[in-house]
Amino acid sequence: MISTIELDNKVLRKGLCTGCGACQGLCPYWGSVKGRTVLYFACDREEGRCLQVCPRMPTDLGALMEQSFPGETIVPDLGPYRALYLTRAADPAIRAGSQHGGTATALMELALRAGMIDGAVLTRSRGGLEPEGFLAATPEEVRACRGSSFQIPPSLAVLNRALEEGKCRSIGVVGTPCKTLAVYKMKAQPQGENSRHPERIGLVLGLFCGWGLDWEGTEALVRRHAAPENVSHMDIPPSKYHCLTLDSDGQRQEVNLDEVTPLVRESCRLCTDMTAEFSDLSVGGARSADGWEVDQGWNQLLVRTARGEELVELARKTGALEFKEVPAGNLDKLRRASLGKKRTGVRNLAEKSGSPDDLGYLNPSAAALRRLLET
Amino acid sequence: MEWTTTVDAPGKTCLMQGNEAVVRGAMEAGIHFAASYPGSPSSQILGMLGRIAPEQDFYAEWSTNEVVALESCMGASFAGARALCIMKQNGLLCVGDALCSCALSGLRGGLVLIASDDPCSHSSTNEFDSRNMAPYASIPMLEPTTIQEAKDMIPFAFDLSEKLGQVVLVRLTTRVCHGRGNVTLGELPAARKPLREIGEWDRMVCINWLHEPMLEKLDAAQAFFNCSPWNHYEGPEGAESLIIAGGTGRLYCREALEALGVQAQVGLLSLVTLWPLPEELLLRRLAGIKRLLVVEEVDPFLERNIAAVVGCNQLQLEIHGRLDGTLPRVSELDPDMVRQALGSFLNLDLPERAGSSELDLPDRELTFCAGCPHRATFFLLKKALRMEKKQGVVVGDIGCYFMAGQRAGQFAFQAGSCMGSGINLAEGLGQLTAYGLDQPVVTMAGDSTFFHSSLPGLVNAKYHNANMLFLVLDNSATAMTGFQPHPGTGLTAMGREAEPMSIEKIAQAIGCDVTVADPFEVEKTTELVHQLLAKPGLKVLILRQPCATLASKTREKRKVWVDADACRGEGCGCDRFCSRVWGCPGNSWDFKNGHAVIDPVSCVGCGVCAQLCPAGAIHVEGGEEG
Repeated sequence: MISTIELDNKVLRKGLCTGCGACQGLCPYWGSVKGRTVLYFACDREEGRCLQVCPRMPTDLGALMEQSFPGETIVPDLGPYRALYLTRAADPAIRAGSQHGGTATALMELALRAGMIDGAVLTRSRGGLEPEGFLAATPEEVRACRGSSFQIPPSLAVLNRALEEGKCRSIGVVGTPCKTLAVYKMKAQPQGENSRHPERIGLVLGLFCGWGLDWEGTEALVRRHAAPENVSHMDIPPSKYHCLTLDSDGQRQEVNLDEVTPLVRESCRLCTDMTAEFSDLSVGGARSADGWEVDQGWNQLLVRTARGEELVELARKTGALEFKEVPAGNLDKLRRASLGKKRTGVRNLAEKSGSPDDLGYLNPSAAALRRLLET
Repeated sequence: MEWTTTVDAPGKTCLMQGNEAVVRGAMEAGIHFAASYPGSPSSQILGMLGRIAPEQDFYAEWSTNEVVALESCMGASFAGARALCIMKQNGLLCVGDALCSCALSGLRGGLVLIASDDPCSHSSTNEFDSRNMAPYASIPMLEPTTIQEAKDMIPFAFDLSEKLGQVVLVRLTTRVCHGRGNVTLGELPAARKPLREIGEWDRMVCINWLHEPMLEKLDAAQAFFNCSPWNHYEGPEGAESLIIAGGTGRLYCREALEALGVQAQVGLLSLVTLWPLPEELLLRRLAGIKRLLVVEEVDPFLERNIAAVVGCNQLQLEIHGRLDGTLPRVSELDPDMVRQALGSFLNLDLPERAGSSELDLPDRELTFCAGCPHRATFFLLKKALRMEKKQGVVVGDIGCYFMAGQRAGQFAFQAGSCMGSGINLAEGLGQLTAYGLDQPVVTMAGDSTFFHSSLPGLVNAKYHNANMLFLVLDNSATAMTGFQPHPGTGLTAMGREAEPMSIEKIAQAIGCDVTVADPFEVEKTTELVHQLLAKPGLKVLILRQPCATLASKTREKRKVWVDADACRGEGCGCDRFCSRVWGCPGNSWDFKNGHAVIDPVSCVGCGVCAQLCPAGAIHVEGGEEG
């Protein structure tokens, strides 16, 4: 089967494409417009890398996880797990303008400074709008990328190009769960022709993700409430608030979540990974008894690998991160939330296929998923 | 070559092309005026006339379209000028109103209208048969059967036109226009007929009370044709089988009769005066005939009209031809086909027709020349349309770019019709946005087509503000037919300089939103098209880059080469993007070594492929600008 046709039929036309960009930056055939992956021309190849690394082509996630992480660290509902912290960037300049506590920014700056990586593939956006993938080579460039976006740009296209150019010896990647899965699929590929040297991916930092939004829909939504060029920050507080907050001109507005949920990308409804299980470290918003006013300045930090641990310890030692005590029960809450997304994703996939046994791209892992959700 | 058209050497025999013979005929007829719009297969006629016009002291022009050409000839005729008008079959259909009106009003000076048909559509989108226009317009029609007749017919047609006061249609086909044959030259007139002053009470007006006189002219023509030496009979008297041939059919039949050795059994009547049919001659020749085969190019025009004569006169005979399947219903005749038809007509046992080749030859589509700006245009248009959320609709038009419907243009079109139709089809679609059709609509016209027939459509689309993008593919040439000048080029058919007309100024004057871009700046122009598609209303984008065939004559050719080590070839990340997708004839593939190569003979050095190579493996001498 021809790769471009296969991907077009099985992923794009099925509404599964996450827009991660893993298929892009490799060849002239694939591109992206406003978060939509676009096939420009037909390639004749049968085994393209686009097909191999797409996070929505059927994958045996259990096997990939066992191949990628030591078995004893793997927690079924959370992926590889070593520790959970509540952290924030020590530098208030990082925190200002970060999504929450600036942990991801602080860690990537530190990884660059410490020489653990010499480049970082990040997302750069203006107040969360019109994001783009960006290869940061200096801590200053990393800092300029702080803050999240609900529009997901195809930043892995930047990773593909960076690997090809070969300027970096060790590249760090920050991304949503779909992106980190694609990165681990890259890392797991045997060295093929025109290899992009995936061994040069030195650090993967995943971001907790509930869903991403349709780009054009988001733009229209924002326009209804504020001038898009003046938007400085967007966030989703805990579910009891049932809103999206929109900061512009120093004012915070609350947009009813009912306006937002129709804009959730179809592919995100079919996703079962909340915590970016394929990564060295995962970062998300904090949840604690202190309430949202405090929590929004902090992060939860999941340490998954030895490499991740090394960086977090370095952050502790250098004071790049501040730590606070993790409330008892936080891990359980996180596991329940993670399971919740799995449950919803599996239900939506079964609904889409019309059969509880057909989970589409998750078919190779369907049995394991079902066992997990039944316990 | 063209000395043959003007040399004063009566009786001299020259090898001439059909189109050239027509030009010679026009000289022998002493024409004052000639007008045409280019179209294969007769484009060369006015090209040659334009070149010799200044020294031969007559007027020739490439008109902006066929209607303009015919009507300007009508104007010249009013002053007693002999005017020759030339067009292809599509042009003849365009001039329907003008021609019928002309036929009704009648003429002063002779007006001969040449319509050249393209059976098998070698250089057309169709094989429409012009002969159907003669009965429709009630005008006499002739068709030569040899190159000599193509020459001789022109002075005859002018004499006939003046005798009748009626326009005379001469039908040619590709094989006559492009074929060559010996032509014995006739005399050139010592002087042209003087023009006549148009008096206050002179009238040449289309009005219905001239209907009866118009038909009387046709009766008069029929009387001439019944005893005209132009129609030839060869073969035995008293045969029971007869072939009636028109146009190329005559020579094909002669060859077939000879090959089968049946000249003594079958008669061959070749008709040159096709309309009105020489009925008396036909009845004379059909007397005693039991079986008739009609051999003609494309439509069963003679076959049907002869069948009517046979029926009206209650003759008992079988009629074979294109209607009963003795000859195919469509496409061009060839000697083999006629031989087979004759064999079946005579119930002869002929060996199976041998295939032309045992080899399994690859299909070769028409494609754009190396370095053609249209390739870049349709490449970037495909990209821009793929960027749209909604599937776009592309409507083609007529010119070289019609080939964009195939691989050469990334299979660009969903619809394509006649010349100048693109903007109107698109306008129709573009108006439906308000009624639920939410798709981006794109159409185009070349620069020559823009002047030919897109202007009224552009005015209409602008006035009614259709949601559409109109691309003007300005390659500064009427490239398809051989670089005839048009109002944008600053030259006339007679080689005189004129003030070139600016397409953007015209479009702006109409009130259009006009942008000009270079299709060779692929990435930038893709983005521009993408942006324009998002804008509501009518947008005009002029994509300007001279035709590669013209440009290669004046521009210094830059060397383009492939760094074989950097070339990704068939590998993932390329898959022969330059030769397989971009598809320029200059981008070739080294099968032995498995990498891309530039064919130095085809390549014109435009360098666009260097912009597109995903590995940066294509290099251009002195930089990689398009």
